[in-house]
Amino acid sequence: MSEKTFAVLGLFESPDALMHAIPKVRDQKLGRLEAYTPYPIHGIDEALGFRRSPLGGMVMIMGVVGAVTALAFQYWISAIDYPIVTGGKPPYSWEAFVPIMFEVTVLFATFTAGLGMLLLLNRLPFFGHPVLTSRAIQGITRDRYALSIEADGMALDAAAARAALAAAGAADVEVLAEPDAVPFLTSDYVMRALGGIFAACVVAGLLMYAAIKVIPVMPPMVHMHEQPRLNPQAPSTFFRDGHGMQQPVAGTVSRGHLPIGAASQEEAALLANPLPRTAEVFAMGRKAFTNRCAVCHGALGTGVGSMTAAYGAKPANLQAQRFRDYADGQIYWVISMGKNAMPSHAADLTETQRWAVVHYVRTLQRAQNAGDQDMNAAGAR
Amino acid sequence: MSETNARTTNLLRGAMAIGAVGVVAAYFQTGLERFWANWLLWFVLFFTVGLGSLFIVALEHLVGAKWSVPIRRIPERVATLLIPTVPIGLIALGALRVLYPGTRPEALQNKVLAGKAFWLGIPFFSARAIVCFALSLLALSIFVGGSLKQDKTRDPAFNVRARKFAPAFMALFALVITLVAFDWVSGLTPEWYSDIFGVYLFAGAFLAGLAATTLAVVGLQAQGRLDGVRGDHRYNLGGFMFAFTVFWSYIGFAQYMLMWYANLPDEVIYFKARLDGSWHVVTLVLAVTHFVLPFIALVSQGSKGEPQRLRRVATLMLGAHVLDIYWLIFPVLGRTPLFSWPEVSFALFFLGLGLLWVRGAMEKGEDMPVGDPFLAEGLEFRL
Repeated sequence: MSEKTFAVLGLFESPDALMHAIPKVRDQKLGRLEAYTPYPIHGIDEALGFRRSPLGGMVMIMGVVGAVTALAFQYWISAIDYPIVTGGKPPYSWEAFVPIMFEVTVLFATFTAGLGMLLLLNRLPFFGHPVLTSRAIQGITRDRYALSIEADGMALDAAAARAALAAAGAADVEVLAEPDAVPFLTSDYVMRALGGIFAACVVAGLLMYAAIKVIPVMPPMVHMHEQPRLNPQAPSTFFRDGHGMQQPVAGTVSRGHLPIGAASQEEAALLANPLPRTAEVFAMGRKAFTNRCAVCHGALGTGVGSMTAAYGAKPANLQAQRFRDYADGQIYWVISMGKNAMPSHAADLTETQRWAVVHYVRTLQRAQNAGDQDMNAAGAR
Repeated sequence: MSETNARTTNLLRGAMAIGAVGVVAAYFQTGLERFWANWLLWFVLFFTVGLGSLFIVALEHLVGAKWSVPIRRIPERVATLLIPTVPIGLIALGALRVLYPGTRPEALQNKVLAGKAFWLGIPFFSARAIVCFALSLLALSIFVGGSLKQDKTRDPAFNVRARKFAPAFMALFALVITLVAFDWVSGLTPEWYSDIFGVYLFAGAFLAGLAATTLAVVGLQAQGRLDGVRGDHRYNLGGFMFAFTVFWSYIGFAQYMLMWYANLPDEVIYFKARLDGSWHVVTLVLAVTHFVLPFIALVSQGSKGEPQRLRRVATLMLGAHVLDIYWLIFPVLGRTPLFSWPEVSFALFFLGLGLLWVRGAMEKGEDMPVGDPFLAEGLEFRL
């Protein structure tokens, strides 16, 4: 026990005596006043001059902070960081945020109320309050009413306090010494607490591992693995033919591969080139022609390419009158389906590229067979 | 009765007379739909205020509350509003053919309504309404009649009887308020239904009863009556109002949010009608007056017992309740909220009638249940 005085306790026989004593002692301003009674006494808070608890304001502020936090967090997730349309609602739908806002408001507010009351305002934990070991405690918990003058930051004048309480009519006065250093948050205590938490985590982790892997009493989450499903290369009892994989529905068209729409090259003459004659389309056509066609047909389409000798077959001379008379659709057909020794290029060129090549072949033909009207058109530019 | 009181009474009688002329004119001028919608509005208002007040009385008996004994006479007097409500409600049965699609012959062509034809039809609807009126009057006579009798007999047996009846009343009350909500209000849109609708109307009714009670308590105290009722009693009334403002909003929003999320056409149409065009403004005003303003006004500790604050909030609360019922009923009349001389006339007539009735009740007999053995304990109440 230290020599410092914690409080001076005056014991009264009745609540009336206590209530009468309070204003007399309070006027002398010796220290913080506190009363210890076996049951609540109406009006004692006002008499002791307690200021109104700031807890309400704290709860209000933290509640608002909770609501704003929840709103901001959800807005950031749903509308900014990772906008996903759920249920056809816009990414920012405040209606969907309200339940979370409500919960977080309550969470912040209740934690503030509980912890704020216990830790901040009641200054807990406070082990070994001196009044609990005083002589007076037996009376206080039964039929006596104590008024105490407590040291409030500054030193307490024990003699003056004792005199004041006696003058106010206290039946008994007791001086309580300051308790020894509170055994809380010492380095030893903190280390032991942290060590205990760490040990508990290790034990829980090991038990969990054992329950999942060693003695599998608690299998991990395997619903995804064990769900009923169809495997492509495995038999299945779900379909009548016993296959897991099924043929596509008749008439299915795969993406980006429309059928040509003609049964023969003659029929294909009716197809129109869907692409406009623009610089971009010609550039696309030239690129595809250079990569795929020029090797056999030659850069000018004259049927003299670098591969011609090695290949053995004679590629078509695209400048021949016969091919200049072809309709666009017929050239498209040959590129798509192949002809004689020429293979199909449907796998190498997309439909757009094939139509662009058709435009480019037309350009080559016109360039090699230019007439006066072409010269005039060029001159007029 | 003082001179100002007499003048107020004359003022109310005048308002009622002017309103009555307007009501009769509305019947012939505005079309039957609008007339009956107005009538229905005030019938539901009277019924909910009366039932809400009776619920406060019953709640006290149910839980054996002592603090509310000194002010119990006030909700008892407001609850007598149920007596004029019965003839108003019987007249409101005339709205069945006009406003309720379930009673029309075309309803049989509609698959959904045809399945509910017996429930929505006039005979069973009227029978349910009459049973509800009878149950309300029965509960009124047991709680309020018994309490008035106790003033003279001072017989504590009444407290025992009331406490025994209270649990049964709660079950009956739940039935009656749910039927009022489902039949009279939600029956206007019979293809739409919401399980929580009865609770929604209950929240509004309890709040309206609390607001009327609080307003009367504060008013009587200003006249120097209700000696012994302190800030602690008023604080409890304010606390109840605060709590149930939040409860009303919780129910109302939960009902809205689930339907908004599911987005099923037959459910969401109800809110689509109330969030389109001018009705959107009414909805926002309702949210502000029924939740935001009362919440802010009552959130601090001191304001819950302060008479001036309570008077304003209770008045706002009653106004918001009128708006709430208006918001529930009037969208069936069209896409624009109707408010003109017929609505004003109805308001004058029924407000005059209701206030005259409640003021008359306030002048009769003792202000406190003097025969109740717990009165002294209730006056001792401290927070």
